[in-house]
Amino acid sequence: MKVTIDVDRCQGHGRCYEVAPDVFTDDDRGRGEVIKADVPVEFEAQVLLAVSACPEKAITVS
Amino acid sequence: MADYGQGGAPSAMSPEAEAQIKAWTYERSNDPRGYYERLRAKCPVDFETHQSAANGAGGITTAAVLSRADIEEVLRNTDIFSSEMPIMGSQEPVIPLGVDPPLHSMYRRVLDPLFSPKKMAVLQPKVADAVNEMIDSFIENGEVDFSEAIAVPLPCLMFLELLGLPGAELDEMVRWKDIMIRPEIVAGSAEAGMALQAQTAGEIYGRFGAEMEKRRNAPTDDLISYFMSATVEDGRNLTDSEILRILFLLLAAGLDTVTISLQAIFNYLATHPEAQQLIHDDPDQIDNVIEELLRWETPVQTLTRIAKVDTELSGCPIAAGTHMIAALPSGNVNEEYPETLTVDLTRGDKAHLSFGGGNHRCLGSHLARMELRTVLREWHKRIPFYSIKPGTDIEWVASTLRGIDYLPLVWTSEKG
Ligand code: HEM
Ligand code: SF4
Repeated sequence: MKVTIDVDRCQGHGRCYEVAPDVFTDDDRGRGEVIKADVPVEFEAQVLLAVSACPEKAITVS
Repeated sequence: MADYGQGGAPSAMSPEAEAQIKAWTYERSNDPRGYYERLRAKCPVDFETHQSAANGAGGITTAAVLSRADIEEVLRNTDIFSSEMPIMGSQEPVIPLGVDPPLHSMYRRVLDPLFSPKKMAVLQPKVADAVNEMIDSFIENGEVDFSEAIAVPLPCLMFLELLGLPGAELDEMVRWKDIMIRPEIVAGSAEAGMALQAQTAGEIYGRFGAEMEKRRNAPTDDLISYFMSATVEDGRNLTDSEILRILFLLLAAGLDTVTISLQAIFNYLATHPEAQQLIHDDPDQIDNVIEELLRWETPVQTLTRIAKVDTELSGCPIAAGTHMIAALPSGNVNEEYPETLTVDLTRGDKAHLSFGGGNHRCLGSHLARMELRTVLREWHKRIPFYSIKPGTDIEWVASTLRGIDYLPLVWTSEKG
């Protein structure tokens, strides 16, 4: 699984790095950043939670 | 935040219009989910109900937006839907709430880092101490009015802390925010409320202005001093007027919102023993519990935008100048998405719009979450099981900000 954040959509709700802290982190403005773009299998479930929790639909997995 | 719900000042509202507004806001506050479900059954955009409020302001058309997709469109498409409107007795737009991009983005770039999760984590121990001190003062009694003892004072104290103002000003802060948020209730009528609000806005600007003067030559380690030294895009400082309009908004947006969220969440928990058991058994669920209840209760009911051009939503024509009312409860709990119709306290992944969406996403959302989480964590450590005092009629405040002024809780078991 690969994951990206669309920086134009992200508004810094912070849900991604809270529900999937192994894959996302926060920048100094509180916006989400991907730290593991190639998601290890054990974190895939976390990432799917982040996808549904993000109010801006800014996270895409492929 | 005072009427997120009605942009314009209802200067000369008729008694009938006022009674009508009271009736529907009361009905909505008691049962927002049922209320918006009934509206959705008629049409995805409601031109009738919210109209009465704006009528007083001189025949403004309102369109309450009820479908999730349309609400998201109204909040995100700033080319069509503008936030520039007069609110809260303030002459110039408050910052950043009343400003559109690109200026809005410039302000948020300065403000976001101050309210980031990392900054808020530094403040967290102070919140925990304050909560524990409050609990100390009443735990022996076995009962307390949660609103008076925690929900109202806690966010006000943290606000004073952030601004570097003495805790002794708590009472003044509570009075100010009440007048800003619901002038009509403090003053007794919409008209008297508007006058009181304008007068108090002047007082607040004066008070913050004096604090800025004090810091001009002797900066302190707080938000006011930070704003005074901050530089924006083109290398210039924020002007005094800009700083005042930021401070004013923080007061109006950051206090009652946390208060009412605490009230709604504790009312839910107090009436759901299984939820208390869940937190008792697995305190790590607190974050999920809070997200799910923020969604379910939707403390801030509506946000307002103004249509800049003629447009269309769900096939309904919207004329330029229409006040768009984004009905957040209708976006959060909606039969289009069946999983939103039930409460799952162990799921924090049902995306909600309780902090808004798009570029105006609540600036204080990380502060608010930290405060809510800290209160739940500290309270449940010491008072794990409690209920509403028998014989109490829970009364929701009929306002855009949906809270419970009097929330008496009782408990028997106590730990530490
Ligand atoms: C649980 C508590 C809170 C809730 C439910 C809440 C809700 C909201 C919502 C829905 C908006 C969007 C307004 C719009 O789009 O028109 C907003 C904006 C805002 N909130 Fe909060 N809020 C809360 C706490 C706070 C706190 C603690 C602060 C203090 C820093 C704060 C400061 C702001 C500011 C400054 C804005 C304007 C942001 C902008 O226009 O860019 N809020 N809030
Ligand atoms: S949850 Fe979505 S909007 Fe929030 S920080 Fe993550 S990507 Fe951005």
